[in-house]
Amino acid sequence: MKTIIRLAGIMILLWAAGLADNAQESQADHAVVSFSNPAKPGTVEVDISEGSITVRGYEGKDVVIDARWRERVLTKEEQEQEAALAEGGEELDQEELARKKAQAEKAKGMKTIEVESMGLTIEEEENVIQVNAEEGKRAVDLVIQVPFSTSLRLSCRDDERGVTVDRVDGEIEVETSDGPIVLTNVSGPVVADSSDGEIKAVFGKVVPGKPMSFSTMEGDVDITLPFDVKASLKMKTDEGKIFTDFDVQLKPSQQKKEEDERKEGGGYRVSFEKVTLGLINGGGVEIQITTYEGNVYIRKAK
Amino acid sequence: MKCEQIREKSADYLAGELDEKSLSEVRVHLAHCPACREELESLSAIWTKLGVLPKEQPSGSLRIRFYEMLEAYKKGTEKDRDKISLGQTLSYWLGRLMPRRPAYQIALSLILIAAGLGGGFLLSVRSRSAARTEVTGLRGEVDDMRRIVAVSLLKQASPSERLMGVSWSARIDRPGDEVIQTLLETLNRDPNVNVRLAAVDALYLFYDHPEVKAGLIHSLAGQTSPLVQLSLINLLVEIRERRAVEALERLIQDEKLNPKVKKRAELGLTQLS
Repeated sequence: MKTIIRLAGIMILLWAAGLADNAQESQADHAVVSFSNPAKPGTVEVDISEGSITVRGYEGKDVVIDARWRERVLTKEEQEQEAALAEGGEELDQEELARKKAQAEKAKGMKTIEVESMGLTIEEEENVIQVNAEEGKRAVDLVIQVPFSTSLRLSCRDDERGVTVDRVDGEIEVETSDGPIVLTNVSGPVVADSSDGEIKAVFGKVVPGKPMSFSTMEGDVDITLPFDVKASLKMKTDEGKIFTDFDVQLKPSQQKKEEDERKEGGGYRVSFEKVTLGLINGGGVEIQITTYEGNVYIRKAK
Repeated sequence: MKCEQIREKSADYLAGELDEKSLSEVRVHLAHCPACREELESLSAIWTKLGVLPKEQPSGSLRIRFYEMLEAYKKGTEKDRDKISLGQTLSYWLGRLMPRRPAYQIALSLILIAAGLGGGFLLSVRSRSAARTEVTGLRGEVDDMRRIVAVSLLKQASPSERLMGVSWSARIDRPGDEVIQTLLETLNRDPNVNVRLAAVDALYLFYDHPEVKAGLIHSLAGQTSPLVQLSLINLLVEIRERRAVEALERLIQDEKLNPKVKKRAELGLTQLS
């Protein structure tokens, strides 16, 4: 079953209403989408370039999406283009310049109404719900309610507000460029990456067996784990520091691993591992953490 | 014969256990050695006195106590007889197989030990080479199993499962071309930064594989994540891969390159040359 909801139409109406009120700052969208097989845990995928994503687990079967559009913000490229156009188009190639000039000529004395292709696309196929915002348009703040066991794949680029997830037990994959990633009351395997943002994750419990990984270039990684968690940490940081209040059994940071199995017909291998390996409660779930400048905090839940 | 030797033999002399030759030798010595004669006489006196000591008889009370103890022991074993275990029946039958006389028992155990040792030796000589090929075979099978698991996990939609695939592949002793290819593909094409980072660490373990070094150098140009770029540069510097110099120089030329990665790449160049 494939369902596609296009909210652009509704948007136009809402926008028209907003124009009448002269209150065009924020417009809200609301959509309820159900999984084709609600008995099985579904997946929600969200990919937006500008905006923020907030996901909360709730005691329902459907996915409830609320979108709030922000004031139109020009992207960096558009700003550069406008500036270039204002300066006589030196930065643009000839074809592009001619087109822009022609367009500007046509629009003389008129004001812009932004209605075209502004919107959200929601698709459902084989228990996967995809939410996409068209690129280069206005920034959108999404609030999505999902059943507790839903898995999430969230991507939010080019925005300061980032991704927030609360009370979701499924697997969570998140990536942001600048915004922070804040996960609370989660338990499934988390794989999170941010270029400049902080990653914070508070686990209510940890599902054993499935590896996790957190990476950020400039932000900190701050993880809270249950006191009795069994975990094997693999931490790598170039300039950051590692802090913890767990009783971590540490292995030396630069370890030369030598395996000589030639006598038994095996191989010989020497390897250097430039990582800090630490075991909590004897080791268990593999947790890989990579930062460049950021610090790493491994906290014990109180 | 010296006095010392005579005194060693004095006990046997008194007991009358010396052969003809020794007996005459002792007699000749005693004839002209008063010291030895005297010694032997005193010894002989003790010998006789020991012989006339009365034999120790157990008292009546000792006899009674012994029979009381025996009764108590019998009662105890009667209680236990009701619950004869498999072990006891087994040991009973084994006991019946065992010869009654200790000498035969010892002989039998020696024969069994010899048979065990001999058999074991023969077996080990014959099967040592077979066992070795069997162990190598098993190791190979475990490796094959890991390969299959790793490659199939690396193709999953879940990034956590792909991470698991990377950590499985790191456990393979001899990864083979398929695993190396899949890991390099993961490094170049996996949409998740974390999985790509894990792939760099896993490939680190196999850098002596011919395709790995070239693959790592090639991958440097295509990476977009600064963390993966840094991780690759660190690795190439660590394994002193001089062929990476050209790739690093090209990377530095890229205007969009993260300034921190650029700094690391420039440092890497000086470290490699």
